[in-house]
This record gives sequence, structure tokens and C-alpha cells, in this order.
Amino acid sequence: MAADVHNKKVAWETQNGSLAPVGKLRAERSDSPTPGLVEGTEPGAGQDDAMFVHTRSFEDLTADGEEGEDTDPSGPASGLGTPLGDREQPEAEPVGPEEEQAPEAPAGGRAEEEDVTSEAWRGRRKHVFVLSEAGKPIYSRYGTEEALSSTMGVMMALVSFVEAGKNVIRSIHADGYKVVFLRKSPLVLVGVAHTRQSERELTRELLYIYYQIVSLLTLTQLNHIFQRKQNYDLRRLLAGSEHLTDNLLKLLDRDPGLLLCAVSCLPLPSSTRDVISSSLQAAKSKSLVFSILLAGNQLVTLVRKKDQYLHHMDLHLLFNLVGSSSSFREGEGWTPICLPKFNTAGFFHAHISYLEPASDLCLILVSTDREDFFNLSDCKQRFLERLRRRSAYPALQEATRSPSYPVSQVGIPELRHFVYKSKSSGLYTSPELPAPYQTEEEQERLMGLYQYLHSRVHHTTRPLRSIYHCGERENLLAWVTSGFELYLCFSPLGTKAQAVMAINKLLKWIRKEEDRLFILSPQTY
Amino acid sequence: MSGQRVDAKVVMLGKECVGKTSLVERYVHNRFLIGPYQNTIGAAFVAKPIQVEDKVITLGIWDTAGSERYEAMSRMYYRGAKAAIVCYDLTDCWSFARAKFWVTELQKSEEQCRIYLCGTKGDLIEGNRSLRKVDYHDAQDYADEYCSHLHFLLLSDSDNNISENVCICIFKKISHIQYSILLAHCAAKEKGVDLAQKKSSYFYCCHH
Repeated sequence: MAADVHNKKVAWETQNGSLAPVGKLRAERSDSPTPGLVEGTEPGAGQDDAMFVHTRSFEDLTADGEEGEDTDPSGPASGLGTPLGDREQPEAEPVGPEEEQAPEAPAGGRAEEEDVTSEAWRGRRKHVFVLSEAGKPIYSRYGTEEALSSTMGVMMALVSFVEAGKNVIRSIHADGYKVVFLRKSPLVLVGVAHTRQSERELTRELLYIYYQIVSLLTLTQLNHIFQRKQNYDLRRLLAGSEHLTDNLLKLLDRDPGLLLCAVSCLPLPSSTRDVISSSLQAAKSKSLVFSILLAGNQLVTLVRKKDQYLHHMDLHLLFNLVGSSSSFREGEGWTPICLPKFNTAGFFHAHISYLEPASDLCLILVSTDREDFFNLSDCKQRFLERLRRRSAYPALQEATRSPSYPVSQVGIPELRHFVYKSKSSGLYTSPELPAPYQTEEEQERLMGLYQYLHSRVHHTTRPLRSIYHCGERENLLAWVTSGFELYLCFSPLGTKAQAVMAINKLLKWIRKEEDRLFILSPQTY
Repeated sequence: MSGQRVDAKVVMLGKECVGKTSLVERYVHNRFLIGPYQNTIGAAFVAKPIQVEDKVITLGIWDTAGSERYEAMSRMYYRGAKAAIVCYDLTDCWSFARAKFWVTELQKSEEQCRIYLCGTKGDLIEGNRSLRKVDYHDAQDYADEYCSHLHFLLLSDSDNNISENVCICIFKKISHIQYSILLAHCAAKEKGVDLAQKKSSYFYCCHH
């Protein structure tokens, strides 16, 4: 039996949640024994400006989902507003002369399609369906869309029936299943899950899928298409992108970053990271908005235009784009991409290339000008030259060989794993998964537990500061302050007192290592 | 989009999954892509220096994505191109319709661009003729119709040295030499041969 003990009020939490004079606190940052109770001073907090749009975990995401349409299209992008050169309507006539052609089978891609009448298909933990408002299938996680057209018809009928009564269907709970609906005109997204995730969590995941589709097409184009032809088969335009969505769903099940709205960094000596950042900073171009260097699914550094912020969600979509495609290994990639949390109306143009053919280091240069490919290609060359001249490249390569660290470095014997997010920087750190969690199922089970704690801590009506969860196979503790979120996983033999003791020790360790684990001084051009 | 470091721009066009990327991989890196099919996202650029007589010329090859999603962008890839290789899959008649679409597009906006029509996956129909969906005569008639003022090259080379058990999405090796000649040819054109001289049109056909 799982037992939850939660404290509404924690004695050591600063009563005054507001920001104390930040400069003063920063001066003392490394001396403080329990650092980081206040936002901006927690371990991992950036020294200057945050790199990202500030998010308080997923509240703003779900709020977004519940509000329905984004009313203000300029959103956080208002600074850049119209000058973004590329707002013009895509000149494609998406409905060409061939529009009467029968829909093609999705090209290649997924190896075997499942039989949708089989028990195995029914038994899947989480299904995701995307359909148009005309009830036409657009995407299904498992099985072909054609085979599911009647099922999707029923889904649309449910949505329309409830809407006819001036109401909105959010979810159906039955027989251990949750069926969650997300209506983002002109699309309808449906998730069917028998997991412990809350309805909000599932809605948030559907929102990710929605933004994934928007990132390929822009909302403007999406609306335009369905205004012209309500029963348009969107799969034609999304052909070949199924594996991006598949991969995103996999990340949602496994990557704590998507849960926490945070990004993890490649552990790297701060001197090396500074050299890389300043080299990227120097390799600028007029149209450049963001320069992002990735190592696998970790961030090495990010340089941005002054006053322009990237949203985590957009960054995760970029991670997903790069991570789920080998296309960029072939040469220098040049692709239009919409960053939906920045602006749903227009495309950016991204120059995406690996630093070396077999390397994990991938550079993404995000530009506003679609004609600027060769300029950005030059930027990359300049960046590489500078990196080599200042001999930071070997150190960077060395770091990519050990992209994580064992939890034993912390020196807490009962501690198996943890996830620590610094709220003000939007970055998190987490050690590699230890022995019992190395298989995919176990990894997803642990993530499931973190998701459960996360949903308890961020409950809409009864949010918690901390929660201790005793399970059969492990004990977990979550602790949230205004500065950070911490999730810890202990061996099942540990006690609650030990767990609470561990927090201080861990925070001290993170403080000591923060130079290496976080990006403390983000750069702008 | 014009590059300073590129002497001749070559663009690959065609429906998705016809094998444009495989062609480029084969030509530039001399390798086959193995594993599941991965569609190109946006476009990929590769610069390939080649020796033509005593000069080194850099070809800038734009391997575009076949998905309709990127169609609006394709125009900027073929703008100013010296050559376009329009690919279609011999086992997919819809891909031939798309190829015709691209030929029409190119004729409309890029008069100087040489167009090479390229039928791919010849090895698949070799084993099983019934898989063939694009008739030889259809392709030839289409080429004939335009060959008075355009250059077509129908490729679907069969090279028996290569084992046949290739992945479904990797078509038969286009003869490396022939492909080099083809590309070298457009580079040579760029170098000085009168490009406007269209009368001496030729029509290669190694279509089965």
C-alpha cells in the first residue's frame, strides 16, 4: 500500500515567498547552508537573465490548454512582432490539382502497422489520436488511420454532441481508462490511457502533440487549409512526420524535462562552456535569433538575441526534431520551423548540422530570413574555427563521452536517483539511471512515479509543498519551493527521516557542482 | 539563394520516398543508407568538389524534401539552379505525376536549368515486372514531347554486380561513373560552354 505524507507547510520554507533583494542574496549564494529557498538564488540559477520564457512548471501550459484559443498571437514574441521577415502566407496551394487523388498510404516510415482489432492494440498503455473537425483521421499512435476512421468518427460525434448542448467534453473516466479530449480548432486531439496520470497531465501531452503539428505547418496555414476545405486530409501535408510525433510521445513517457518544462545541460567545466558560448556569440549574423548547441538530448549552450526568449516547449520540439531524424547527418539541413510558443503564425528557418559526421554535437541556428542559408553556414564555420583556435573542442568532445554522472557522486547511499529543477533558469539536472531502472519498462515506471508526485504537488485545488511516497520497490520524496523542484528516489529500505536529511546534503552537492551542471551565465548577441 | 562558394547549383526534386537522398548519399559519400526510411526535413545541402579537366569545381547539391509540406520552400532551392534532377519511382505512378509537376514548374521559372528526369528503383521491377507502374512508353512520350527544347535523361540503371537484396527504399545503384559524368557535364556547362545553345538537344535513355 502506498502511503502519502504531505506537509502543507514546511518549517524551513521561507514564509515570505516574494523575492528578497536579489543582489544581496547572490553575493552570499555559495555560503548559504540551505540555499535556494527563494527564486533566483537556488543552485543552478542563472546569474544574469534567464534564457527561457519564465514558466512556473506546467500551470501556464495547462492554463493555455483550458483557455482554448490563444487570444494574443504576439504573446512573448511581441518584441519581435512584425519585423520577422517571413510572415507572408506560404505560397503553396496546399490543395493542388491532384486533390481528388485517393490518399496515399503513409510513406514508408513505421515498420509494421498493428491490427486495430487485436487485443495487443487494445492493451496499449496510451493511445493518441488526432482528427480534424470533420472527423477525418490525421494521426494515430498505433495502427493505421484508415482502419480507425469509424472510431474517430465516434470521437468527433461525442465532441459535437456535447458541444451542441453548449458544453465542452473534457474527459471520460471508465474502467480504469481515461479518455481525454483536447479541442484546438481546427484539430481535435484524443488521448486514451490507463496510466496513473491525471487528466491534466494527459491534456498537457496532447497539447505537446498539437504544437508539434503546428511547428510543421504554422497555425495560420492550418486554419487556412481547413477554411478552404473542411474535409481536407491533413495527412498529405504531414506525410513523413509521423515518426516525429511517435518520438515525442516516447519522450513524454521517458524524459523528465518535458514533465518539468526544463532542459538538462551537458555537464561541462564552466570555463569550457564559457568559451563555447562566447564563440557562438561572436559568430552572429543579422537574421540570427537563437544559436543552440546540443549534445544528444542535452543542451551545451544557447545564445539568443537580446530580449528574445525561447520557450522550453519550443526547445523540446527542436530537440525532438533533431533527435528523431537522421536527415541532418546527411549534409547541412535547412528547414522552415514554426516555434509555436514564440509565434504560431510564421516560420523561422533553422540551419541544422552536426559538428562532425559521427558526433553527437548538433548546432541549430535559428534565423528569420529564409534566404540566409549561406550566411548561417558561414557562422557555423566561424564558430568552429574559433572553437579550435581556443582549443575548447577537445574538452567538449571529452565531455560528450560522459554525458551524465552516477548518483554515487553525491555520496548518499540510499539515494537511487533524483531530478532537480532550478525554476529561475529553467534547467534541471539528473544523474544517469541506476541498475533497477535501466530497462525501458522500469524507466517508464519510475517516470510514472515522478509524474504522479508532480501531479500531486501541482494539484489545481490542493497543491502541496512536499510529499513522501512509500512504494513496494522504492520510496520517493518530492519537495517544491519557490526556487526549485526536487524529486528523489530512495531504496525501499530507507526511512523518511533519512530522506529529509538527504535533501540538504544533495542541495549542498548541487551547489558545489552548479558551475558544471548548469549554465550560469547565459549569453546574448 | 545563391552561394559564393558554389560554382554550380544542382537541385534534387521529386515526390517523397523516391530515393533522392539515397542518390545524393551514393554520389557524395559513396554509401548506401541502411535502416528504416527517414524522410528529409526541409532540405539538405552538400557541397561536392569535382575535377573537370584541370579545374576543381564545387557543386552545391540541394537535396529537397519530397513532402508537399515543403513545396512552397522548394522554389527557393531551384532558383538559379544549373541542373535539376527530377526523380520518380518506377513502381509508383503517382510519383511520375509529381515529376511532371516539377518539370512544368521548372520550365515556367527556370529556363536556364537543365532538367534530368530520373526513374529510380529499377532493381525492384527487375525481379518482378508486375511491380512496374510507370510505363516505359509513357515516360518516353513525355520526354519526346519536350525534348525539342529540353534535356532529359532517364536513369534507372541496372548494375548486375550489386546484390539484389537491398532494402525496399534503397534503389539500385545508379552507375557511379554515369552519374559523375552527368554532374560534371552540368558543371562544364557552367564553366563556359554556351548554355543558351539549346538546339543540340539530346536525349539519353537507359530506361528499360
